[in-house]
Amino acid sequence: MDKKKVSKVHLDFESSLKELEKIAERLESGDLGLEDSIKEFEKGMEYAKYCHEKLEEAENKIMILQKGKNNQVKSKNLKINNNSEMEDDEDIQGTLL
Amino acid sequence: MMDYTIERERVLSITELTRIIKKNLESSIELNSIWIKGEISNLTLHTSGHIYFSLKDENSVISAVFFKNVNRKLSFKLEDGMSVFAGGGISVYEKRGSYQFNVNLIRLEGIGELQKSIEQLKIKLMKEGIFDPSNKKPIPFFPIRIGVVTSVTGAAFRDIVQVARRRYPGIEIILAPAIVQGLDAHKSIVRGIEELNNPEWEVDIIIAGRGGGSFEDLMPFNEETVVRAFHKSRVPIVSAVGHQIDHPLSDDAADIAAPTPSAAAEIAVPVISEIKGELDYLVIKISNLVSDMFKNIKIRIINAIGRPVFRDPMNIINYKSLVLSDLESRLISAEKDIISEKKNSYNAIPDIHSLIKNIHSICINKYILVLQSVENLSPIGILKRGYSIIYNLKNEILKSTNNINTNDKIRIKLHNGELYCSVDSKKKGVIDG
Repeated sequence: MDKKKVSKVHLDFESSLKELEKIAERLESGDLGLEDSIKEFEKGMEYAKYCHEKLEEAENKIMILQKGKNNQVKSKNLKINNNSEMEDDEDIQGTLL
Repeated sequence: MMDYTIERERVLSITELTRIIKKNLESSIELNSIWIKGEISNLTLHTSGHIYFSLKDENSVISAVFFKNVNRKLSFKLEDGMSVFAGGGISVYEKRGSYQFNVNLIRLEGIGELQKSIEQLKIKLMKEGIFDPSNKKPIPFFPIRIGVVTSVTGAAFRDIVQVARRRYPGIEIILAPAIVQGLDAHKSIVRGIEELNNPEWEVDIIIAGRGGGSFEDLMPFNEETVVRAFHKSRVPIVSAVGHQIDHPLSDDAADIAAPTPSAAAEIAVPVISEIKGELDYLVIKISNLVSDMFKNIKIRIINAIGRPVFRDPMNIINYKSLVLSDLESRLISAEKDIISEKKNSYNAIPDIHSLIKNIHSICINKYILVLQSVENLSPIGILKRGYSIIYNLKNEILKSTNNINTNDKIRIKLHNGELYCSVDSKKKGVIDG
């Protein structure tokens, strides 16, 4: 179907969720014909899929920025254990930007 | 001249003398509700919570006591050598016959000047529109990655990580480590905010701040460069400086201000299980709406098909045949020359039997197509993906825990059958999906 078209319409998560709500409202109103209803339904499912994907997208990581050579800033993963104690295996103070 | 004869009745006991001294000193307007200025020495933080110290200048010294019930409000730590203003009055400690300064309030010397300069900076920046509400960017509804500018070792970062993860376990956090107190702090904070504004880091929202501290500790967040960096941030930014009374200017320049780093994390990160629940609810809702619509259409098609024309199309054919044979007999009875003429035109009439058959089969094919698409879109497809529909005894779909009670019977519809259950207990609120 219009997968590409719908994806392009997505601005961000919030507006996708809002679109989904609007579609539910339009379907609920009962004013739409059969063909329009199917179109709206398919669009709604696309939005829902996109939102689910977004929710799964992030990876639960914690990074710390530090200055590398040539003054370039790099990110480095920071480990935090279950007690939220940060592992200071390195002299983290020395990595202040 | 003093009379050296002792008149017994006029002799004072030590206690009496001390009481007189106490009464005189403690009721003196000159010695009470006054401010004195001096340097702290011999500071003792007693386990009782009272604070004892001496206040001195070049020539003199006085003992001072800062009782627990009033020193709790102190926003900074006292140290030997600090130059302070102390507000209070003289009191006498009868047991030792000593007098001391009873402190009610302490202000750091120089703090008045600092506060004045902050006020001036505030007015200047206000005129420039740095604090205009119209400049404030909306906080994103659903951030994937948050940027944090604070000390890597402070409690603030740990608090933010904890709160953010509790609300959204998948959240990504990127820390720009900064010094948050002292002379270099403002440069470090500005660099952190600027770095996280680099599109390369794909940060959706920034939290910049520190935990609570003394007035001086929070000063970097009143620095002009820092306040401007908050204002300039392209990425929406939360000011997260722990404070009780006076908020720092960064709060006014940020898109939103939080009283603590934990509160900032709550502002920046949504509770993801609530969003998931909403999403699932909407999907089920639109699926139900569409399948209801198909159910109605199916009924209309079945009703239409049930009408005589469709139920027995041969009726039409038979009727036409009658008309045809009638026509034929009338033709035969007509004159011969006319017969031959008319016969030609009769041959030109298309075979009405096959015509009707064609129309009939076209109708049937269309009907099958529609039925197929109904099956594809029916809720059974949705149920197969793991959703289920719960009905109450009235056959109403349950959308909320509000409309069902403990021990009520419910019917759960799955893709390949139904379960008949009763409710053991119920719990409100959104559960992680």
